[in-house]
Amino acid sequence: MVRKSERFPGVEWVGETGAFIKIDDKKCTGCGNCLRVCLGRCFEIENKLARIKSLDECMECAACWYVCGDGAIDFAWPPGGTGYRSDWG
Amino acid sequence: MIEEYDVVVVGAGFAGPVAAKKCAEAGLKTLMLERSENPGEKVISGLTIPIYGFLFGPAFIRDGNPPIERPVDGIKNYVIYDIKAGDIDTVELRIPRPLSPIFAFGYNAYCKPFIAWEVDQAVKAGAELRTSTTAMDVIEEDGRIKGIVTDRGDRIRAKVVINCEGSQGILAVKAGVREKYPPEAISLADTYDYECPREVIDRVFGYTLRFCWGFDEQMIAPPLGHGNGLMSWPYRNSIHWMQDQCLSLDGGQVPNLRKLFDEYHENITTQLPWWRDEIAPSARLRARMWEGFEIFAGLDDRLRNMPNYTDGMILVGDAAGLESTGLCDGVPAAWFSADIAADTAIEAIKANDTSAGFLKRYDRRIKAHPIIQWTITCRGRWDLRKAQESHDRKELRARVDHQFGPGLLTHLGTPLTKSILEWLRKDPTVITKWVRMFLRYYHNWENEGSSRENLPGQPKKRGTLDITLALFDALGKLLSPLTLVVVWLLEPLTVAVNPLTKALHPLIELILSASIKMEPVFRPLTRWISNRVKQADPTIFDATKF
Repeated sequence: MVRKSERFPGVEWVGETGAFIKIDDKKCTGCGNCLRVCLGRCFEIENKLARIKSLDECMECAACWYVCGDGAIDFAWPPGGTGYRSDWG
Repeated sequence: MIEEYDVVVVGAGFAGPVAAKKCAEAGLKTLMLERSENPGEKVISGLTIPIYGFLFGPAFIRDGNPPIERPVDGIKNYVIYDIKAGDIDTVELRIPRPLSPIFAFGYNAYCKPFIAWEVDQAVKAGAELRTSTTAMDVIEEDGRIKGIVTDRGDRIRAKVVINCEGSQGILAVKAGVREKYPPEAISLADTYDYECPREVIDRVFGYTLRFCWGFDEQMIAPPLGHGNGLMSWPYRNSIHWMQDQCLSLDGGQVPNLRKLFDEYHENITTQLPWWRDEIAPSARLRARMWEGFEIFAGLDDRLRNMPNYTDGMILVGDAAGLESTGLCDGVPAAWFSADIAADTAIEAIKANDTSAGFLKRYDRRIKAHPIIQWTITCRGRWDLRKAQESHDRKELRARVDHQFGPGLLTHLGTPLTKSILEWLRKDPTVITKWVRMFLRYYHNWENEGSSRENLPGQPKKRGTLDITLALFDALGKLLSPLTLVVVWLLEPLTVAVNPLTKALHPLIELILSASIKMEPVFRPLTRWISNRVKQADPTIFDATKF
């Protein structure tokens, strides 16, 4: 399965990544840092806590993981052969 | 399933194949793991690989024929004080004609084909490649790393794991080798790839990169002066374009990059005169991508000194925090460190000791590498960002000049000279290899990738260029003993190069500017030299004989 995005031409997302980014509700303070740095718009705030809206446009940069001062975000590489790909990097 | 290897290399980016090739050539059973389906398709950056990467990097790249997009002769900086009023200054650092474009400042390349070429060399040398495979965890026994676990649950044992996974270092952090970098050390690069006709690029850019630096409120260089600025790279038929910004500002505030990058992109593309008038009418956006990298990790003593090795594992390139704050390049340090990591792994396995105590020599060699240390500790860009916050025109211009203009020579001079002499000491004939590299790469660029397939049908008879090169080789060999003596005499003086270039800076600026003004005089000579190289049978540049 190959997905494309109008906002990000030249990039494809392949396969099923599963939830390779996870948020620990017990640690999240809802500060919104992850929303501010995510160009793929993967996060949203719901009931004052961050949650993953969709990883469909995630480019696996881990910016969310870096800026989470509460240690609430767990980032792992997605399974082999899945996630974003581009010929133009 | 349990498998056993001497060396497992995690990540087939710029560094991984260099390490894998060397280990395989040393007879080690080597496996290279790559999480993407095709190597290079998860590597994102605009890319000029500075010349020091090619001169002092792995011999197979220097002597090979990798796919390049365009030679680079220097940087033209636009210092933007007031964009609406057209108050823009320029600072240029460029190798003048007729030396350039053959004797280049660096080479532009797309990551994917370049990495695919490197991987191919590693596989030909005997390294095994496994793609679509993510290293998820390490095998740890008695406090030592003994291999890795893949996303499929396969357990791959290795005497040494060479970790080239990139700046995030997920595996390294998980294994407890180092901590994750703080957001203020990480820059997010928002990258665009524009298709553009070659004649437009030739006319506007030529072989020169274009960087832009402005006061904060100009909203041209990324927000609040905490980013690199805007960089654009001319490729063969396309332009790569990047703005980047740290994930955390002074005081810990996290900028709204989602919003700011869009605003800045809009401002730049509609207001920057040369982009708006000369590029925009014929450019078409082909791709937009982004990636984070540890741009300022080397400036912090604690981060710079975090471990880059442990029992059974060595961290390489970005995974070891070796991204350059100097010229924003990660590739040369990735190549150098991969080469050193492979040497260390080979020695460790031969000595049957892969403990941290033995692998410490990797760290010592990294810390003794003049170019790596310069690239990660160079403070010029950090100071430049402060100048972007100020409204001091003189200060902003001076900082741009110091980091990306002729002032670069006042701090790169010593490490560059040290490296040149070090290579000459190891191989007094290396100059002839460097010259052949410049010629081969130029031939590659002019002929859209020299290859066996597009060799001229009839081999040309020996021309003057061939004879000149043969004479040059012979001379190099003949003068080897003398070269060694000269190197021995000059080595103690390398520390004086930086102060000397600093003292002579006004004179150097004058010479550079005069030589650029003189270029029209040399136009026929430049054309003659370029044509000779372009039309030559590439086998005279030897290397692999294509």
